[in-house]
Amino acid sequence: MDFLFLLDITFFLLAGLGALIGIIFGAIPGMTATMAVAVCLPLTYALGLHHGLALLLGLYVGGISGGMVPAVLLNIPGTPSSITTTFDGYPMAQKGEGEKALKICVVASVVGGLISAAVLFLFAPLLADFSIKFSYVEKFLIILLALSVIASLSSSMLIGIFSGVIGIWLSLIGDYSISDGGNGKTRLMFDFMEPYLFEGFSLLPVLIGIFGISTILLEAEKGAKSGLVNERIKISRGGGFSLSVFNGRLTNLVRSSFIGTFVGMLPGVGGSAASVLAYTQEKNLTRDSSQMGKGAPQGLIASESANNALTGGALIPLLSLGIPGDSTTAVLIGAFTLQGIQVGPLFIPENTETWYVMMTALVFANIVMFFLMFYAIKYIAKVVMVPKHILFPIIVMMCVVGAYAINYGIMFDVWTLLIFGILGYLVQKIGLEVAPLIIGFILGSQAEIYFVKSLESFGTYSIFFTRSPIAVVLWGLIVASVMFAIVMGFKSRARQKMELTQVTGSTPTASGKGHDTN
Amino acid sequence: MESGLLSLLSISIDFETSHLFFPRIIHWIMAGLLALILVTKVAPFMVAVKRGERTIPIVGEARDNFRFFGTLVLIVAYFYFMAVVGDIFPYTGYGFLMVSMAFVLLMSLLYLHDWTKKAITIVVVNAIVAPSLAWFVLAKLFTITLP
Repeated sequence: MDFLFLLDITFFLLAGLGALIGIIFGAIPGMTATMAVAVCLPLTYALGLHHGLALLLGLYVGGISGGMVPAVLLNIPGTPSSITTTFDGYPMAQKGEGEKALKICVVASVVGGLISAAVLFLFAPLLADFSIKFSYVEKFLIILLALSVIASLSSSMLIGIFSGVIGIWLSLIGDYSISDGGNGKTRLMFDFMEPYLFEGFSLLPVLIGIFGISTILLEAEKGAKSGLVNERIKISRGGGFSLSVFNGRLTNLVRSSFIGTFVGMLPGVGGSAASVLAYTQEKNLTRDSSQMGKGAPQGLIASESANNALTGGALIPLLSLGIPGDSTTAVLIGAFTLQGIQVGPLFIPENTETWYVMMTALVFANIVMFFLMFYAIKYIAKVVMVPKHILFPIIVMMCVVGAYAINYGIMFDVWTLLIFGILGYLVQKIGLEVAPLIIGFILGSQAEIYFVKSLESFGTYSIFFTRSPIAVVLWGLIVASVMFAIVMGFKSRARQKMELTQVTGSTPTASGKGHDTN
Repeated sequence: MESGLLSLLSISIDFETSHLFFPRIIHWIMAGLLALILVTKVAPFMVAVKRGERTIPIVGEARDNFRFFGTLVLIVAYFYFMAVVGDIFPYTGYGFLMVSMAFVLLMSLLYLHDWTKKAITIVVVNAIVAPSLAWFVLAKLFTITLP
């Protein structure tokens, strides 16, 4: 219980503040939890590890939760993960039950968040304990598995893999580091770039550029219209919320929370996959799904408990294997590196106190999120109206601080923002996927070391199959994930063909809408 | 037979050129995937473009050119002048402070759709207050390095 001494009032204030800022970010359409964490990173430079983590975890939980506000009130998902919240939330708001809908979402969110925190607490140390025995061969295969899972859950596996490989390629720019057993020579660049790129691109400017600057560019292209001026926020006529809404819905709540946690564990899979999966499961399994999509609380429960359950789930592979579960935890890796901590199998055994502190912060952030949103929802709902012409310049400014200060004042890191801002913009424009690219970028240089070192010591490619039974199991999983993607690909193609033959006109369906988003 | 297979799989990596070993594999994979994508995705897409069903991304799309390129120009100028002004007042963060004020003001005006007196007042106040606040909290309270 030594860790209790590390918790002071500042710690709780920071976690609460993080949750509040996160909710605001999440509530503004177009701003995501990832962006909230990326933009607020500079604030943690001056904080210690534990205080910094409190703030970041607060931001994460708040950011994911905040997305429900515009989803319910304006039919715009504030974050991608609240896409299914719009299906039932907006119809309820139109009926004048906005506040009731939001409160259902808040309760579902906190349950989802806490269930996933519990799973994280029980499961991460076990997984870490297991993976501690991994040699370079298994570590390489784990990365390969992570990338194949990301790719197989992308909207197109081919595009997903390609995006991931581009990420790996980008991570190889720079020297083959001597400290990792390399020969210290640079590759994939011209000589004149060496002064800037000897160590490759820094992780955080890359992330901030891709999630901050490219979002601004995408919005600027659309004219940065606030677009909400004519919308009137219909929040409530006398609430009407009571916990009895949840009667008979506990199975849904718990099932969706576990679905969210599980999807969160899969690397690189965004929140929209979790909520879409939980929503469709509820639709398939419940006895009465006729009201879903027209304003049924059960849809809100499924969607919001699943997307908040992502938070704990995504932290599991991060803390036990060093592999981020989603783009927000990818930014968290940067924050850890900044504090001189390497996440991986040894993280929990070597930093037990930090581990408990993180769990406390996560649970506390969920609770703060609950109280903030449950009692102050009316006021928070107003932030969806913050004009973009005020917000965007401030975001760019914060991105600059984050990038410049990370290595104590290197101007090239600021230019990295722009390079990756434009790259992120192009990638999204031509239909490649950002999440696999980022995960590839983060894991690429490690993958190289594990791969090359394994071959150097064993001298044969067959070692990747014969090293241990675990290696064989990992190959089994890799093959399974690829097969899954191929089967799903065929299924969706068959369905598309069927829809095409059935519908000669063009009437997009709700299910189609759910599938192309991630 | 088996030994033939094993010798096929065996590999020795020259330390001097080991920095190129993995990138080379990645290049081959990238080339292979690109070829697959060109055949399975891009070719059908281009056919659809020719038939006029789809448009080429970026080139063929409607875009608010003024605001998009305005943003790019402003960001480039912001980054450039921040360093220039920062060098005049080293280690103070004044470069960041002054150039940020100008940047926030210009970018806000760029995105502002209705130029009312009230909106412009808010923009100007924000352009002065936000960078000052950020500079004060980060550079003074937290002693974070700023340009």
